[in-house]
Amino acid sequence: MQPILVVLGLVAFATALGLLWKSQQGRVRRTASTIDLPEGVTLGGRATLLQFSTEVCSPCRATHTVLDSLARETDDVTHVDFDLTHRPDVAARFNILQTPTTLILDRDGVVRARIGGAARRDSVLAELTRIGAAA
Amino acid sequence: MTTPRGIDPRGPRFTATLTAVLLLTVVALGIAGTTYVINTSSGWSAYEITLKSPLQRLLEPGAILFAVLVLIFAWSATQGVAKHPFGLFFRAVIRPRLTPPAELEDPAPPTFAQGVGFLITATGLVLHLLGVPYALVIAASLAFIAAFLNSVFAFCLGCQIYLLLVRARIIRPKGAALA
Repeated sequence: MQPILVVLGLVAFATALGLLWKSQQGRVRRTASTIDLPEGVTLGGRATLLQFSTEVCSPCRATHTVLDSLARETDDVTHVDFDLTHRPDVAARFNILQTPTTLILDRDGVVRARIGGAARRDSVLAELTRIGAAA
Repeated sequence: MTTPRGIDPRGPRFTATLTAVLLLTVVALGIAGTTYVINTSSGWSAYEITLKSPLQRLLEPGAILFAVLVLIFAWSATQGVAKHPFGLFFRAVIRPRLTPPAELEDPAPPTFAQGVGFLITATGLVLHLLGVPYALVIAASLAFIAAFLNSVFAFCLGCQIYLLLVRARIIRPKGAALA
């Protein structure tokens, strides 16, 4: 086996993996499921941005900033950042495999969208508009 | 959450780049210096395993470099990524030449990634010393992929595998209610 071929193959494989990972980040999946809210979480008047984070996740901070400013600018939309670091039970209950994961809940608490990975401002705003929580 | 002091986010990216290059070097040295010879002259393929002691295996060029990386992973996983030798080099030599960062970052995520790097590379090194064929090359390749993704794509290892490890009961967080 030629070392140079293996080295080039590894770099190509890792690049393909990275592009695949990047394309999945922040993707919005629409759902219509009901959940039992984690304890201490109350619904916003028109929508709730329920974010799941851990301490070992740096993009969680960026997503927190994005969702926090969206909630501030939009009436009756609240943002809750739930720390799963010490709560594997909650992670299992909501089937969270990666952080950040964001659930967009409507006024009735129905999960209308699920975003895996760092959330983008424009796609969250589009979902809020779709469910009638933002103009 | 403990946030002692934020670190420049470019520090871990620099560290990951250097680590990825060194791991790739280990892969190349490991393949070039491999001692498992495929013998086809007798009409059938067989691995001719040369008998080497663990010490002799440790003194192969790829293994020496790999062992150094294992020690660095162990050091920065336990002491915090702020004390990573490549990070110290970044702070002393490179950072003064750059503009200040827009924001500082929590050192916990990259420190967790160093711990995962230690587990993968230490396992590979032990298996290599025990004579398992290609253990060095495979472990170095896995660690390379993680370091490369971190360096080029800002991939966050803790985001993808922390919850999986906790839910598989491989990591037990303090004071956790179990699933």
